[in-house]
Amino acid sequence: MQSWRRKSLWLALSASWLLILLRVFPVLRLAEPARRQAGGPQGWPRWLDAELLQSFSQPGELLEYGPQAPRGGRCYREACFDASRCRGGSLKVFVYSAVGPISETPRKVLTSIEGSRYHTASAAEACLLVLVLSPDTPAGECHPALPQWDGGKNHLVLSLHPTPCLRIFQLGQAMVAEASPTVDTFRPGFDVALPLLPEAHPLRGGALGQLQQHSPLPGVALIAVAEERGGWRLARTNFSACPWDGRCEQDHGPKQTHPRATLPNATFCLIPGHSPDALHFLQALQVLAALQEMPLTRVLALRQQAQFLWDAYFSSIEKVIHTTLEIIQDRISGASAHPSLLWNSPPGALLALSTFSTSPSDFPFYHLQQGSRPLGRFSALIWVGAPGQPPLKLIQAVAGAQHCAQILVLWSSKKPPPPRWPETAVPLTVLDGHRKASDRFLPHSAIDTDAILSLDAHSSLSTSEVDFAFTVWQSFPERMVGFLTWSHFWDEAQGGWGYTGERTNEFSMVLTSAAFYHRYYHTLFTHSLPKALRTLADESPPCVDVLMNFLVAAVTKLPPIKVPYGPWHQEARPPPLAPGGPRFRAEPQPAAQDCLNQMAAGFGHMPLVSSRLRLDPVLFKDPVSVLRKKYRSLEKP
Amino acid sequence: MCASVKYSIRGPALIPRMKTKHRAYYITLFSIVLLGLIATGMFQFWPHSIESSGDWSVEKRSVRDVPVVRLPADSPVPERGDLSCRMHTCFDVYRCGFNPRNKIKVYIYPLKKYVGEAGVPVSSTISREYNELLTAISDSDYYTDDITRACLFVPSIDLLNQNSLRVKETAQALAQLSRWDRGTNHLLFNMLPGGPPDYNTALDVPRDRALLAGGGFSTWTYRQGYDVSIPVYSPLSAEVDLPEKGPGPRRYFLLSSQVALHPEYREDLAALQARHGEAVLVLDKCSNLSEGVPAARRRCHKQQAFEYPQVLQEATFCMVLRGARLGQAVLSDVLRAGCVPVIIADSYVLPFSEVLDWKRASVVVPEEKMLDVYSILQSIPRRQIEEMQRQARWFWEAYFQSIEAIALATLQIISDRVYPYAAISYEDWNDPPAVKWGSVSNPLFLPLIPPQSQGFTAIVLTYDRVESLFRVITEVSKVPSLSKLLVVWNNQNKNPPEDSLWPKIRVPLKVVRTAENKLSNRFFPYDEIETEAVLAIDDDIIMLTSDELQFGYEVWREFPDRLVGYPGRLHLWDHEMNKWKYESEWTNEVSMVLTGAAFYHKYFNYLYTYKMPGDIKNWVDAHMNCEDIAMNFLVANVTGKAVIKVTPRKKFKCPECTAIDGLSLDQTHMVERHWKRRRQWQPTPVLLPGKSHGWKSLVSYSPWGWEESDTTERLHFHFSLS
Repeated sequence: MQSWRRKSLWLALSASWLLILLRVFPVLRLAEPARRQAGGPQGWPRWLDAELLQSFSQPGELLEYGPQAPRGGRCYREACFDASRCRGGSLKVFVYSAVGPISETPRKVLTSIEGSRYHTASAAEACLLVLVLSPDTPAGECHPALPQWDGGKNHLVLSLHPTPCLRIFQLGQAMVAEASPTVDTFRPGFDVALPLLPEAHPLRGGALGQLQQHSPLPGVALIAVAEERGGWRLARTNFSACPWDGRCEQDHGPKQTHPRATLPNATFCLIPGHSPDALHFLQALQVLAALQEMPLTRVLALRQQAQFLWDAYFSSIEKVIHTTLEIIQDRISGASAHPSLLWNSPPGALLALSTFSTSPSDFPFYHLQQGSRPLGRFSALIWVGAPGQPPLKLIQAVAGAQHCAQILVLWSSKKPPPPRWPETAVPLTVLDGHRKASDRFLPHSAIDTDAILSLDAHSSLSTSEVDFAFTVWQSFPERMVGFLTWSHFWDEAQGGWGYTGERTNEFSMVLTSAAFYHRYYHTLFTHSLPKALRTLADESPPCVDVLMNFLVAAVTKLPPIKVPYGPWHQEARPPPLAPGGPRFRAEPQPAAQDCLNQMAAGFGHMPLVSSRLRLDPVLFKDPVSVLRKKYRSLEKP
Repeated sequence: MCASVKYSIRGPALIPRMKTKHRAYYITLFSIVLLGLIATGMFQFWPHSIESSGDWSVEKRSVRDVPVVRLPADSPVPERGDLSCRMHTCFDVYRCGFNPRNKIKVYIYPLKKYVGEAGVPVSSTISREYNELLTAISDSDYYTDDITRACLFVPSIDLLNQNSLRVKETAQALAQLSRWDRGTNHLLFNMLPGGPPDYNTALDVPRDRALLAGGGFSTWTYRQGYDVSIPVYSPLSAEVDLPEKGPGPRRYFLLSSQVALHPEYREDLAALQARHGEAVLVLDKCSNLSEGVPAARRRCHKQQAFEYPQVLQEATFCMVLRGARLGQAVLSDVLRAGCVPVIIADSYVLPFSEVLDWKRASVVVPEEKMLDVYSILQSIPRRQIEEMQRQARWFWEAYFQSIEAIALATLQIISDRVYPYAAISYEDWNDPPAVKWGSVSNPLFLPLIPPQSQGFTAIVLTYDRVESLFRVITEVSKVPSLSKLLVVWNNQNKNPPEDSLWPKIRVPLKVVRTAENKLSNRFFPYDEIETEAVLAIDDDIIMLTSDELQFGYEVWREFPDRLVGYPGRLHLWDHEMNKWKYESEWTNEVSMVLTGAAFYHKYFNYLYTYKMPGDIKNWVDAHMNCEDIAMNFLVANVTGKAVIKVTPRKKFKCPECTAIDGLSLDQTHMVERHWKRRRQWQPTPVLLPGKSHGWKSLVSYSPWGWEESDTTERLHFHFSLS
């Protein structure tokens, strides 16, 4: 009986608590807005009579009715350009040659356009005709007689420096690419805005960005404000008012002025516009406070992105011009244009060809951003040169590798290939080469893996070495991973670049006679390199190695990667043969030394970067039982 | 949660043990509760009723009650829109100084009913959508009820549909708004501009400098960087439930669902269908609709009827053709169905095109190429199509699906123009959550090799092992690239040795005394660190020679975004225990390096101290352990990259071996020795394909919640324990 009473007591207790909870909470919640009310009416009212509120349109209205605007007629900005003249959706550019003497910059512009892969010498074939204006053309001679002008349709009027002609010229339907255009005349999506470059901007290559480290140096000024008189004013701390109204002059705070020519050592550079109000405008927005509070992560990102943009698109006249053409090509391509990621992350749209793919994960550069990884298989591409001996031992070694998908033999010998090939675990295909050294870097359609293992008939590799090198490549898909290396150096005596295959403490090139790299580099090699450089490589075969290394280094700005290579291979290799023969040797030929200098001239700078390390397996040469090591045979044959 | 469950279990068990003398106590409790109940009831009926009536009128008013304003016939009319307006010419940023969080402040004028001189209303009452829009703004962070602090003003005059208002009188109503000032900083929303017969592409109401958020701009009326192009809201978004359909090929390749198209387009569509047969489906109005089905929900092809908008999910590409207006509500339906819109409307400014990358979600085809559209679409690779389908659905979810989404995106765009340095990034606007989640943006993405001249700062964490500390200092000071040595003195009870007792070294030596003995002091971004490279070294690591350390620094220079260390560790999934395990044996792979001797970028100190997710930092400090695991996880998490292990010449943790380092140091042997050693110290790649577990667990859980992350990644390791 007692237990029954207790039970009921307990029940009553819990019920009453439940009641309290249910009652008190709504009261509290309702009471809250009443307290807020002191500050005046809150928010937009919720109307009681929702039925009075009609929908903003009747369904019939959304389905549309009535007449429509006629097609064609007025010149829409995009429609002013007749893209159908670009056959196959690819841009063909013709440039009017200069009449009479022209100054330095327009000549560089002409050279750049002529060096572009879009250039054509025939005006009839072209779908974009470029007229380069010179800043020193007298205003009276602004109207050259152009037979193909046709109201400016499919024309691009290009001027790197302000010229009076642009204001006088009857532009009609022509696109305009000029430096620092004003908002009033610029037609977005049609014109192209160019950077205002200094007079002596280099044609090619150009100075690399000066950024040497990711984060700003400690203690540098936060902001440098460009002064109207020239020079920079540095503001370090306590600049709540100082930089704005010139009160810095009396301020004893830390401030420095620099001549305009040398860039200030500051995290941000502020260049106020021409308007005298510009500074007040920035002050009103508390820009300084915002910059000061900007998280370090964002400061780092801005620094790096600014540097990347400079390196990719601004550092030479050639880059500026090629970028302009690439933008126009993207407009024509529509859906197969560069995705934004390709424009805005290294190496930039000029080096990431949209003709290769529009899907970022097909390239070696964007796996991190895409959350993807390269395909886990590779194709071995074996180049067989003059003697025409099928490399049977090599085929067996490579075919036994864990991730080998297929073997391609590029037969470049005058002798016909043997009718029978050894039985291998993976498919073997014989491709017919054209006996040119650059053939090996053609984007053969048979290559269907991301990774290529490039080999010569005389290369000597073990299965273990291939396995390990491929694992390394998967971590560095944008770089070349090789076994034998060369290094370049500046030869004071010769006044030029030299390279050596001797063992040194550093290297900057790997031999493509045994190297892993991404198949994208075949496309890039064939379609983006100037023809002159490829011809040079064909004439002197060791230059092919140099050229490929130049290309990859120019794209990645990083050195290649060296992996262990058994010393016993070198003893076993056959004696060196004549040029054009097997190239599997460590020492470059003296005749080929010069190609380094010619290539450096062609690129406009020396892109090679040196490295001092080799990547070994974790337990390589560690004092543990050899049975515990995954790559045992790397240490002993 | 856990606590409440426990109590409910324990509760009944207590009852049998209740003593009789406790009864009095319970009765008292019961009566208190009863009293409380009565008090509550009184409270609810007495003071609350008075307060809530005022409250009620604020929160829920009647449209009938709004004040009426009579507009004289000669009241001023604003100028027509100024086409040359830009943010820096027509927008007054000085009003936007009040920006606690870099967000503009928006004021909404109170609702009034405007009538002409004859008493005829200027427009129909406020529409449901405009009411939603104003409610969304008033509920957002942008809203302010203080007109003096506002940077942007939104009138409560409904302009969404031009057909439901009188143009001149509406303009007069705008002009008499209290802060109108030629429309400066005023934002007008309009979705259906123009009217028959010529259908202007922007609102015809004269509005002077006011910004226009319009749905159907052409490049001729759109003021780039000033106006905002917004979508035409589709009422079906709220009416119909359309679950997401995964990307991939669908039954029809190309679909046109619009009705009331111009005959010329109909001809072209018919031609397309004739040429490509089954792959193309062209729908039109249904001629014989059964009773009760709204016309907007049905489409027909010949005699076959289809449910709209469900039919859109059956097609890979969907046409969005211009109608009388450029902006079409069908775009919203198409995006929602995950169908890639094919936009054929020359000069149309796509919604939010200032920030949205439409290339990723749509195909724009010039009108004159309409007949070639099939071959154009055929040339798009399948992977890209799937990407576009996902992107289309994401755009709808984020920016099209409700009036609220449209309003907030519009305000965000204007806010970002005013405070560009705090603007939302391209990725934030455009990347679907799945991409944001799955991708890594390395904070040190620029490929560069810092110059050797910069050197590194060594940070030695010490407590009281002075003798060993001095040996470490002496050894480290021999490294050529050392530029500064920082000793973090973590012992609060004991003073560091006097200045004269410290070893004399060639670089500056600084001692930092800490306030608390915490492990995270080693990773604090001290102002004294002037180099980018940091060497964290324990006060007992005396077995590393200066050559080895110098080489470690060289390696770091080539991989400045990674941790470069000497002894490595591995994380493994223990299938028996079902959790992660830490492995320190000799293995064929490593995923961590000990921070007792490791080089890394000083930026990671900043991240460790200020941006470490969750409670990890406190856990480490409380347990005085695992700081190296935390650092390894952090770096793997933000960079998506593995560590680099440099092989020390000698076995680690063997201080005795150092003493008998037998190689002579005379000049002749120097070169040879250098060479030999280098060969042995080659760094070793540690391959964490894709992302490590650390990456995943750090984002979603603390690393000590490891059990919850999945184990599939593990299978992709290329090394295995032998």
